[in-house]
Amino acid sequence: MGCNNSSLVIDKLCDEAGEGDTAAMCFYFDFAARSQQSPVNVLGSLLRQFVIGLRKIPEMIVQDFQKQRKGIGGRGLQVSGIMKMFQAITTTRRTFICVDALDECVPEDRMIILESLRQILHGSPNTRLFMTGRPQVRSEVEKRLDGAATFISIQPTEDGVIRYLQDKLRKDTTPEIMSSTLEAEIMKTIPEMNSET
Amino acid sequence: MSQAFSNNNNSFNIATTFNCTAPDDEAKILAWLSPLEPWVRHRDIGVDRVDGIGAWLLETEEFRRWHNASGEDESNHATLFCGGNPGVGKSYIM
Repeated sequence: MGCNNSSLVIDKLCDEAGEGDTAAMCFYFDFAARSQQSPVNVLGSLLRQFVIGLRKIPEMIVQDFQKQRKGIGGRGLQVSGIMKMFQAITTTRRTFICVDALDECVPEDRMIILESLRQILHGSPNTRLFMTGRPQVRSEVEKRLDGAATFISIQPTEDGVIRYLQDKLRKDTTPEIMSSTLEAEIMKTIPEMNSET
Repeated sequence: MSQAFSNNNNSFNIATTFNCTAPDDEAKILAWLSPLEPWVRHRDIGVDRVDGIGAWLLETEEFRRWHNASGEDESNHATLFCGGNPGVGKSYIM
């Protein structure tokens, strides 16, 4: 995860993380990677990012790790174990959790993850949750999080479309076949199409 | 910083070296917590992102309230859900 002026919300949170007692973690759901993105791996990934922000790995996690290692081949983590660790360490810091493309998480896993996030929020009032997803999952989010969610509708703005087109034209690998007439037409027509929808 | 993060020169959270467990163990513990590396996707998205797009979001009342709320009024604004159809740029605002 880099704070390299390449993202919006995470960068803003990162700036603050540099200032003091703030932690920010993120996760990107991807339907193509769904078999790896199990609840235990997703929640573990958030915990892992949180732990990296600490000065040292909390003793409780070290102990749990050493305990499981004694099992044959090591015992895998479970959601309950991760939640226990989470609740033990996130209570003191201002913590931001960002989750992208919630709709790309399979429904069975999504239910478990949302319930776990609800527990984290409940147990740690300093924690904030930022999520993106298709509008269809909104009602599920509201239901699983006890209705305690604010909704913002994301739509392309005219300014955003123009910036995007300018960027693409600037990076055109075959600029010699682009005429100024065509360029002007692109810059006029496409933003209009956006404002009509 | 752990081995697992050696390619991540600008870590998300401000990290200092762990000083209790052996470096080898630290990497193992982190890998045990999760094998996934969401910062790879984060970096890829950052490369494609056009600067300034979506900045309006940070100025909305909803975002400010979510971001600034502390203490008492938390429960109502702890979660911000940004919904939109495929292709509108949701991943780029994150």
